[in-house]
Amino acid sequence: MSIPLVPQLLRSHLIELAENDQRLDGRGQWDGRDVQLEVGILGNAEGSAKVRMGDTIVYAGVKFQTMTPYSDRPNQGGLMCSAELRPVAGRQHEPGPPSPESIELGRVVDRGIRESGCIDTEALCIIPGEKAWQVILDLYAISDDGNLFDAFALAGIAALRNSVIPLAKFELGEDIPLDVSKTPIMCSYHRVGGRYVYDASGREELGGDERIHITLGADAHVHSLQKGLKGTFTAGEFAELMKQARTKGDELRDLVHSLEGGN
Amino acid sequence: MGYGDVQMIDENGIRVDGRKAGDVRPISIELGVVPVADGSCRMTWGTNEVIVAVYGPMEAHPRKIQRQDRAVLDVRYNMAPFSTSDRIRPGFNRRSREISKVTSDALESVVLLELYPRSKIRVEIEIICAEAGTRCVGLTAASVALADAGIPMTDLVVSVASGKINGVVVCDLNKSEDNYGEADLPMGILPNSGELSFLQMDGDLSQEEFQEAWDYNMEAAMVIGGYCAEALKNGGYNL
Repeated sequence: MSIPLVPQLLRSHLIELAENDQRLDGRGQWDGRDVQLEVGILGNAEGSAKVRMGDTIVYAGVKFQTMTPYSDRPNQGGLMCSAELRPVAGRQHEPGPPSPESIELGRVVDRGIRESGCIDTEALCIIPGEKAWQVILDLYAISDDGNLFDAFALAGIAALRNSVIPLAKFELGEDIPLDVSKTPIMCSYHRVGGRYVYDASGREELGGDERIHITLGADAHVHSLQKGLKGTFTAGEFAELMKQARTKGDELRDLVHSLEGGN
Repeated sequence: MGYGDVQMIDENGIRVDGRKAGDVRPISIELGVVPVADGSCRMTWGTNEVIVAVYGPMEAHPRKIQRQDRAVLDVRYNMAPFSTSDRIRPGFNRRSREISKVTSDALESVVLLELYPRSKIRVEIEIICAEAGTRCVGLTAASVALADAGIPMTDLVVSVASGKINGVVVCDLNKSEDNYGEADLPMGILPNSGELSFLQMDGDLSQEEFQEAWDYNMEAAMVIGGYCAEALKNGGYNL
């Protein structure tokens, strides 16, 4: 598709709004859009979730396959996370091989989940050196109105946390829940009109600059960071984002746990 | 197990999911489910779940794909990796390409493309959860999404498949019936004119069985066409 003509008018409008501490949709600087989270909604997936943040809508689905463990880790299974930006999600998304953007998306979400250690890969081993489970998390956007990173990360961890290892289907015994010991949460901030805001909308992304993604665990341990797009930021700005991410992360983690009957 | 080895219909003519031979699975239709699209539709049909988004009419590029006398219809059918029992590797395969093509052919027959020369209309069909008959659900939902986008059409296309299980002709095959059945006849029917814009078949049907399957499809399409019309008037059906 044509490169979107970055509307200079939109940029200058966003700068004006920021000077008055305002945003396009009336939110405050650190306010997110309403979040709706549903889990266990897809019949053919072993774990699933749907997230709606404003007009951004994504699905996450978990499937299990058996794999031969890597020779240097014979007693471990694996986790694979892939994000697809299908053309269904917006007129700017074109069909074709995965774009650099969707690869970055999938990898940043993957790192946040993987590096938190929430999945014990040794527990996924079936026969050491021969057979282990591969957990495949597929992230699927159907409507992109900005901040797919946070929507994917939230749907992803919620889907994993309600997954069942399909032992029966593989004739290995009875199904058991996948043990996911932590709930890493990503919070993303975009520079819009010169300052950082939380949960940018599609128009804010279009008229904004660089972005920063922070994934934190419950103990505020940092599991993944990513800075994307052109632009620089100061240590002071980053410290503020970290502080905001701790508060927002706790809020979203509570939302994920509230659907699980409290654990 | 091969054809006819699995008993899927009892002596009273009741199928594994409790339906009678002519019954269609429960259907729901919701419009506007992709807020960033120009038109969209979510259709559940049994445990099938399909989302269709329509973008356009918009500029067709590169210019070589433009048609001077009409719009081009760009239809994609795609199954989500988690939509089936075994994960599907992302990306196009021969099956999804063929279904995209026949779906496009079926829709081109009703969309007034000549009103939008040199432009493009994109139809994105995403199978989120697959049971059986996803091409039928995708085509039906696509015609509803096009109507939701306000694109002028002569008619909807309602698609439904009948087939044969254990020697009995039945309407709207479910997953086990599709897997172990003896024939499958999907049709795309224009509910107002009664004409067809889509037809496939595989399996083994006698002339009499074929006629019975045809009649089931025609009857079901009129009923489902009514659901679609209700959804378009009221923003949804059976939600």
